[in-house]
Amino acid sequence: MSDTTNRRPNFSNLPENVNNRSHNALNIKPTAAKKLVIKNLKSEPKLPDDYREQTWKKLKSAVLAIQQSKPNEYSLEELYQAVENMCNHKMAFLLYQKLYSLTEQYVAHNIEQFLTESMDRYLFLKKMSDTWQAHCNQMIMVRSIFLYLDRTYILQNHISSIWDMGLELFSKYILLNTLVQTRVVEGLLMLIEKERQGDQVDRTLLKSLLRMLTDLQIYDKAFEQKFLQATERLYAAEGQRLMQELEVPDYLAHVDKRITEENERVIHYLDPATKYQLIHTVEKQLLREHVTQILQKGLDQLLCEFRLEDLSLLFNLLSRVKNGLVDLCSAFNAYIKKKGRTIVIDPEKDKTMVQELLDFKDSMDNVVNNCFHKHERFGNSLKEAFENFINQRTNKPAELIAKFVDSKLRAGNKEATEEELERLLDKIMVLFRFIHGKDVFEAFYKKDLAKRLLVGKSASVDAEKSMLSKLKQECGGGFTSKLEGMFKDMELSKDINQAFKQHLTVNSRDLPQIEMTVSILTMGYWPTYQPMEVTLPDQMVRLQDVFKDFYLSKHSGRKLQWQPTLGHCVLKASFKLGPKELVVSLFQTLVLILFNDCYELAFDYIKEVTNIEDGELRRTLQSLACGKARVLIKIPKGRDVQDDDRFRFNDEFTNKLFRIKINQIQMKETTEEQKATEERVFQDRQYQIDAAIVRIMKMRKTLSHNLLISELYIQLKFPVKPADLKKRIESLIDRDYMERDKDNPIQYNYVA
Amino acid sequence: MADENDNERIDENQRPDKMFTLKKWNAVAMWSWDVECDTCAICRVQVMDACLRCQAESKKDSYGKQDCVVVWGECNHSFHYCCMSLWVKQNNRCPLCQQEWSIQRMGK
Repeated sequence: MSDTTNRRPNFSNLPENVNNRSHNALNIKPTAAKKLVIKNLKSEPKLPDDYREQTWKKLKSAVLAIQQSKPNEYSLEELYQAVENMCNHKMAFLLYQKLYSLTEQYVAHNIEQFLTESMDRYLFLKKMSDTWQAHCNQMIMVRSIFLYLDRTYILQNHISSIWDMGLELFSKYILLNTLVQTRVVEGLLMLIEKERQGDQVDRTLLKSLLRMLTDLQIYDKAFEQKFLQATERLYAAEGQRLMQELEVPDYLAHVDKRITEENERVIHYLDPATKYQLIHTVEKQLLREHVTQILQKGLDQLLCEFRLEDLSLLFNLLSRVKNGLVDLCSAFNAYIKKKGRTIVIDPEKDKTMVQELLDFKDSMDNVVNNCFHKHERFGNSLKEAFENFINQRTNKPAELIAKFVDSKLRAGNKEATEEELERLLDKIMVLFRFIHGKDVFEAFYKKDLAKRLLVGKSASVDAEKSMLSKLKQECGGGFTSKLEGMFKDMELSKDINQAFKQHLTVNSRDLPQIEMTVSILTMGYWPTYQPMEVTLPDQMVRLQDVFKDFYLSKHSGRKLQWQPTLGHCVLKASFKLGPKELVVSLFQTLVLILFNDCYELAFDYIKEVTNIEDGELRRTLQSLACGKARVLIKIPKGRDVQDDDRFRFNDEFTNKLFRIKINQIQMKETTEEQKATEERVFQDRQYQIDAAIVRIMKMRKTLSHNLLISELYIQLKFPVKPADLKKRIESLIDRDYMERDKDNPIQYNYVA
Repeated sequence: MADENDNERIDENQRPDKMFTLKKWNAVAMWSWDVECDTCAICRVQVMDACLRCQAESKKDSYGKQDCVVVWGECNHSFHYCCMSLWVKQNNRCPLCQQEWSIQRMGK
């Protein structure tokens, strides 16, 4: 406020004074000598002696009226100016003193109503709230009147403002009274507990009283601590009890509800500063204390029953408490290992193992992606767990995965479209990635691939190539080079057959009119097949020899070994009821052709002429005489072929199809064969270790033993013992691929 | 060697009474190098596989087997061509029989 505005109300308010002054001013008149003389005032302006008492009386009556909620006889403006005047006449201190004691008296007087015994708690709180509201309203009014005091004297002297003074007094006389404070706090806690039990309570009342405590700055000391203790006690008991009573999903839902409620409590009436501790207390008592139990009791069930919503809730709740996710993750990991082990370990379930693994992986991925927010820790843990359990049974999962792929890539598998197949292969690759013995997979995969390629049973070249490129991407070119070689062999064979056909038309010797195609396989790329000598009819031998001469003339330094077990033929057959075409194996062909000369043949005779191995021949005859399409009749009838059985051409044979495929009866894969495959895998591993060692040494030139071993572990794709690696290193030293350093025996040097 | 064998002669039209006639035959044969010893004496890897150095360099990836063919000396001993060409730089004799090394033929 500027001086002028400051002074003007003085003039208007104190008319006598003003008159005095103007009178003085008029006295100053220019003299005849025109000399300007400034004289002192004759008398200083003075207030009336009783001014102080009068004004205070006015103000006091106003304050009392406010306190008693009565109408005020003076206008507020008048009162305001009275205060201002008193202040300006150095009576501010006095004014403050008087106001203070007036307020003090009133507030102190108020206490009594709260001290009466046996008052209803709710009524007590209500009264307290009302009193507080009234006090606030009064203080606002008082402050408005005494605003000038607040802004000048109080501000300059750094003493409590009128509002603060009111609070201090209220606090001092009412809330610092132990009895009253206890009653208030206990009442509040009771109301909150009631609300926690599900009752409706007066939230406005709670809010008003809690605001009061905050305003009086006793919220922390008087209320918050006790409130948190009560919360802790309540939820500790509740947690204990409900963990016993409720199923985990229900418990989780309850906890979630509680946390929401407490959050609402903060929004509606608690001081925001309490939020952190309050929620923390709830989380601690309802969750942290029970994490182990929740996980033990409920996680397996949730995962088993695939309850995504509950799992999401579990994740969200546990992410609130310290180490909650760590514990959840390790429990998740343990579940996968336990469940996975049951899928993998039981030989009875081998048939469905891969499909189950795929489904299991899908569902666990789903859980991680949808419930666990794709949390990195869980993703990694999932992988680790799969890798762990899938390798708990050596070799078998690798073998079954290979066979599963075969079943999907084989022709006749119409259940999937190209894209579905592609997606499935991708999923299988994920399982494949977990497998330690990748070479076991390769061995079995190769065996099946050979069958698909040779019999032309592959469903789609694209799918085959796609699978191959996936394997290559995963394991490198070394892993797939032989598989690729197999495809290459098939293509080269096509070219050779075309050239052979041309060769035949040019050099058309008098050859049997059989459409002959030959698949030329590179030894080493393909699985090894047991060599088997059989006697072919002369015409076939001739044809074979012509081809052999032709082939060797194109490729010097090679030799060919025929694989009669893999050959297959198409036969024209004429039965009484009409001609048919039979798709059969070479062995079946050899047997059937014998019946051109004779209607009935003895087992011994067939064996002698064809020279087919005994077991193989029995199975072949079984397929022709005891299978679905019986082109031969066995005498006597019966499933197993005996030494003195006879066989007769079945002229009555009929079938609704023209072209009939007679399946070979597959020998059950014996343990010996299984062993052989494994033995071969082992042998291959030796070469791979050697190659890896040479590769590393060639690059590094010189390397310590330990570094070499650790690099080998990175490169090799199958489990291997350090002792085996040592053996291979010794062997390579013997063969002069590398040497021990002369000065440092644990260091190797590459020998070029 | 078979010669003309009328009994087995296949001709459907002329001999409709024949019960089975072979129409198509898909034979399978495995080729390998025509060697006496299937291991290369220099690198001790089977001659059908690429030699150890070629395996280490994964040459076979893009070129298939062609890169690591077999070579026969006049002494009829055979080795990987890669192994032998390194060997003769030091010693122009067959590692197995110590005869002067000269190439008889190469695998193709």
